[in-house]
Amino acid sequence: MGRSVGSIDFEGRRVPFEDGDTVASALYRAGVRTFTRSVKHHRRRGLYCLTGDCPNCLVTVDEEPGVRSCCAPATDGMKVEREGGRPSTERDLLSVTDRVHWLLPVGFYHKAFVRPRLAWQMAERVIRWATGLGKLPVDRAPELGTARHLHTDVLVVGGGVAGLSAAIAAAERGETVALCDEGVIGDKVAPGPTLDAIRSLQEGMPGTVTILERHAAVGVYEGPLVPLVGDGALVQVHPGRIVVATGAAERHAVFRGNDLPRVFLGRGAARLAGVHGVKPGNRAVVVAETAEAIEHLRTLRYAGVDVVAVVASDGGVAVPEGTRVHRGAVVVAAGGRKCLTAVALDSGERIPCDALVLSMGLSPRDGLLRMAHDLPVVGAGDVIAPGCTLEEAIESGRRAGRGGTPNGRDVEPAPIGSSGYVCLCEDVSVGDLQRAWAEGWRSSEILKRYTTATMGPCQGAMCGRHLARFVSERSGPTPDGTLTTARPPARPVRLEDLAAGVDEVIEKRTALHDRHLALGAKLDWSGSWKRPFNYGDAEDEYVAVRERVSLMDVSTLGKFLVAGRDARSLVDQVFPCRIEDLAPGRSRYMLALDEAGYVMDDGLVCALEGGRYYVTSTSGGADTMEAWLRNWADRWDLHVHLVNQTPMLGAILVAGPRSRQLLSSLSGDALDGDTFPYMSHREIVVAGVPSRALRVGFVGELGFELHHPRSRSVELWDALMGAGADLGIRPHGLDALEVLRMEKGHIYLAQDTLPDDHPGKLGLDWAVAMDKPYFIGRVALERMREIPLERKLVGLMFERDASLRGVPLHVGNRIVGRVTSYGSSRVLGRAIGLGWIRAIDGVFPTELRAGEVRATVTPTPFYDPEGAKLRA
Amino acid sequence: MPELVAARASVVVCLATPEALDTVSDGALRVAPDELLVLGPPDSAEMTALDVSRRISGADADAVVLDVSDGWATWTLDGDGARDAFGYLSELDLPEEGFVQGDVAHVPVKVVARPGGLHLLVPAVWGAYLHERILARCPSVTEREEPEDWSP
Repeated sequence: MGRSVGSIDFEGRRVPFEDGDTVASALYRAGVRTFTRSVKHHRRRGLYCLTGDCPNCLVTVDEEPGVRSCCAPATDGMKVEREGGRPSTERDLLSVTDRVHWLLPVGFYHKAFVRPRLAWQMAERVIRWATGLGKLPVDRAPELGTARHLHTDVLVVGGGVAGLSAAIAAAERGETVALCDEGVIGDKVAPGPTLDAIRSLQEGMPGTVTILERHAAVGVYEGPLVPLVGDGALVQVHPGRIVVATGAAERHAVFRGNDLPRVFLGRGAARLAGVHGVKPGNRAVVVAETAEAIEHLRTLRYAGVDVVAVVASDGGVAVPEGTRVHRGAVVVAAGGRKCLTAVALDSGERIPCDALVLSMGLSPRDGLLRMAHDLPVVGAGDVIAPGCTLEEAIESGRRAGRGGTPNGRDVEPAPIGSSGYVCLCEDVSVGDLQRAWAEGWRSSEILKRYTTATMGPCQGAMCGRHLARFVSERSGPTPDGTLTTARPPARPVRLEDLAAGVDEVIEKRTALHDRHLALGAKLDWSGSWKRPFNYGDAEDEYVAVRERVSLMDVSTLGKFLVAGRDARSLVDQVFPCRIEDLAPGRSRYMLALDEAGYVMDDGLVCALEGGRYYVTSTSGGADTMEAWLRNWADRWDLHVHLVNQTPMLGAILVAGPRSRQLLSSLSGDALDGDTFPYMSHREIVVAGVPSRALRVGFVGELGFELHHPRSRSVELWDALMGAGADLGIRPHGLDALEVLRMEKGHIYLAQDTLPDDHPGKLGLDWAVAMDKPYFIGRVALERMREIPLERKLVGLMFERDASLRGVPLHVGNRIVGRVTSYGSSRVLGRAIGLGWIRAIDGVFPTELRAGEVRATVTPTPFYDPEGAKLRA
Repeated sequence: MPELVAARASVVVCLATPEALDTVSDGALRVAPDELLVLGPPDSAEMTALDVSRRISGADADAVVLDVSDGWATWTLDGDGARDAFGYLSELDLPEEGFVQGDVAHVPVKVVARPGGLHLLVPAVWGAYLHERILARCPSVTEREEPEDWSP
């Protein structure tokens, strides 16, 4: 007995564990034999491979379902529960299904509950409940771990003899090397020559090699890219080349009763006995068809197991003297009710025992190799030459480490008996495969889909070769009998591990972000920006704009300098507004159209001296505008230099009837309406900050946008707020802007528009110079002019206030449109909005109903229709 | 322990024909065939812009040279483990010494690698975001409050 170092809580019972124990070994030591129930027939399943390859030991650990208990180290206080069985794994009433297999025939999902359609929806819940595959913790947030990237010349997957040899050889060549192993190196190997070789190689490992233990390789992707999933960490490895040394699993054996608890694969039994000091049973029968079976035999005996018989083929491995050997015999059945109690040989002999240890050959863990097409990936050791000797494994690893391609050998086909379970994950028996074959499903891929064999948690690690063998025995050497396609994940992986490192919320901030917070701003998303929605009193913010003076941080606007000798040609051809007569110092409203004539964005084009232009776009459209301009400049081979000045320039809108008064107090430049009229721009200095001032009017009042160096935004903002205190200044946010711009009939792209809106539908024909010979979208607009409008955006006045944004517009009982913007206008004393409406028999209705509220189509702008205020 | 510190730097952009840029690319970051950035200590932008303009004017009369220092936030990640820490942010493969650009924490960043550390240039609108990401994502990175002047 070893010393207990802690305990786990196993279904309310305290189970002690020893140093080095896994959950599986601790439970087995405590007498647990049934670890789970099979999904269909609810048969008892116990420890089998103990190498992480089979599905028999999946348990729920600390609310996480599907944990391979043979790979999970036991830790103090860990809460462990079994998953299958109703009401419990130990006493499962659903085990009755094991006696009525005809109720769950192969292809069940394709045959049952097809009609009526509701039947499946009802049955699905019952089936999910009955299968008992753990319960996902849906009431907690995912625990996203860390994610990182690792660049290395060589990645070695697998820390066995071949993998370690490959890593050393590659490091000796001066290459950077990373080696990963899903466990701790050597922890699954019982004491003996193999473990001695592993320890020796570890001692000789150069310090430059990055060792990543408890990191499982999930797949091999183009790049190449190999994601490794560790405990709460995702490592994305970008290697120059990959050595796969994942070894081999002991071959799954198929005979009647092959899934009974206490039937073990050889390495599993040896690990239990040799690594954890737990006897798999007291009286064992060993099937010895491999050289390492003799090593297992010694390990079992050393642990105190009485090996009552060895079953070996004629001329097979040499068995130590003093052992009762059944030469030429074959195990045809394992018997027992809850656990194995005896095995039967083909000779008819029955041998009482409480453990059956199967060492019948090796099945390579070659999933990673098979999913790596046309990538610099080679295998080494057992994965390409199952059963190779230690010397062969070392040589194979060295060759792979040095960049060579080690020799492999053909894998012996997996023998398959006449009964027993082929696929342990999905409860698919030999009989099931035979019935499916008889029904006409006759290739590995088709049989897989019909029977679900190979589709469980082990992803065919146990049964993939058996399935291929089953088909090839019947179809001969045709492609039908090849292995099914290997796909990631090669090892079970939690979705939250794959999602590690993607919790970023990418947030753009203006230089005034902290100022807004200090002023009590409530921030809201505006595209990828965080912008002030209001500063606590949207109504007074509105009043400040209409009656006093207000600031708005508009640094988010797209801002572009277009230079180069073809700058004018680009701007003229991309935008539909007239550019020819736009003199330096003047600005013009701009629509950006796509080739179909649909509105993509809007903004201003400002002509600068020297044939340059300064273009602004909407905040959300800046990235698209940059790509759009660059794309057309390249396509037309124009000599244009485009500088996206959005990140380097701040912009503050100063708006309201007192805005000129405010700026005059901080600037010596002329700001009167004659010198600096509406839709013009000038370079001025405000409070010592050089700015390009644009006379604009989105909110419908006298307004100046001050575009200035970002580093001076705070200084400028503070100066304006300070000087404006006596003028009743107050900044406004998006909340107030919504009504301000609506009163002017100004649209919000995407909110008020649809993807197929051309300027005519939006009442923006005036912004399009159709007499220009060319601009993007012109041809489409020309064609559409001949088609009567079926839909257009209009201004709406409502008879009373209600929340109507998004509400359908009716004429009688017919829906003819929708309200896209809605607000209560203080200055008009009315509820107003924008919305699109359809023509009825070629005529647009003027009287509508939004819900129960009457709406009248009204020309825009609602406020200051002559524009006297903004032109002041 | 890797240390993060804000770097005060001047950044000058020069846009010109690729052939013209070839004549002034010494020590500059060639971020596109027709665009390069020249980094320097703070307050050197004006002199740098004048120098670049003078050197390139003969090769491309339409070249654009601008002080774009305000458009960039610059961080320096120095010390042992700086490169490992960078692996938590980006899949970019860092050279021993030199310039790469690409996705860092999902935003576009220019990276100048040098022995012992890295300079990171990110558009200023993402400066605060990247700063937060570095400290949140990279274990063991500490921050030095006092900014330092950029030096190559």
